[in-house]
Amino acid sequence: MPTVLAMSDYDLPTRSASGFLLRYIAPRVEPVQLLGMLVRRLPFRLAAPQSDIIIGVGHGDVDVFTGQNEAVLLEIGKYDPREVRGKVIKLLSCQCGVELCPDLVKNGAACAMGYTDDYVWVMDSDLASTPWADKEFAGKCLMPVVDGLNALLDGKSAGEALNIELEGYSRNAEAEDDELVKACIEFNRDNAVLLGNEGAKIRARPRIMFPFPPPPLPPSSILGLVSRILLLPGLP
Amino acid sequence: MTKEFEELKEALRQAPTPEARKAAAEAMRRYLAKSSKGSKPELVSLGYKKTYPHAVPLDKIPDELARNPEFYELMKRVVTKEK
Repeated sequence: MPTVLAMSDYDLPTRSASGFLLRYIAPRVEPVQLLGMLVRRLPFRLAAPQSDIIIGVGHGDVDVFTGQNEAVLLEIGKYDPREVRGKVIKLLSCQCGVELCPDLVKNGAACAMGYTDDYVWVMDSDLASTPWADKEFAGKCLMPVVDGLNALLDGKSAGEALNIELEGYSRNAEAEDDELVKACIEFNRDNAVLLGNEGAKIRARPRIMFPFPPPPLPPSSILGLVSRILLLPGLP
Repeated sequence: MTKEFEELKEALRQAPTPEARKAAAEAMRRYLAKSSKGSKPELVSLGYKKTYPHAVPLDKIPDELARNPEFYELMKRVVTKEK
């Protein structure tokens, strides 16, 4: 069964977060992987109903989750329940845990994980083309997310996966000297929520770790230009 | 906790008046001057249609704090853990 892995990468935060999923999650899941300009409503709407898990990185608010260039992927009242029914959903985004995640569960998702406030972290912008190498700053917040997702892909329940993520934040916060970085880690930990069935599981995927990282990401200015050339404005 | 971070925390506890935001910006400047970070660290978030930028270089946080009440409120929630 396919995995929907939606990784927008058009600005610093989305490149940083998607970079970690590209390095540590993408190699062990089968398509459909939506990266960059493919993280739009139409590809998402076609792929989502066939999957058992939806993992998304993008900007969001209480009632909306977006993809590339803030193209809306999921918005309360504007998606087909078939896209989410029976699925385990993880949205790495801001505030989706307030209204959108409960709405996804109400419309049949097995469970939905998100955050009830902004998801904030410190990243090294010098590493924007190889974001997975940013262990000193971004990794402190994003590796617990990766560990939680890997637990899900190992066949653990959503509740167990969330606990692994929360423990990762606590461990990193305890070891962190920089108080601002530590405050961000604790903030994200305190805002992580799981709605729906805590015992929900997906089919376990084999543990595959590529020995080499992906090639560096092209600059976002080039990505923006290519997407403007290839995609007509207004395409969903 | 360092004295500078404690002062920043206190400064962020006020209502977001222009004076309070200016005081918080000064406190943030003092904190950042004490905590040296290599490379080009930026504070980033995944918010949608916010009045503050998705990425703020750490040395520009004081300016954004002084300028933007919504960013002040975000930093208040992050640093003080008060909703």
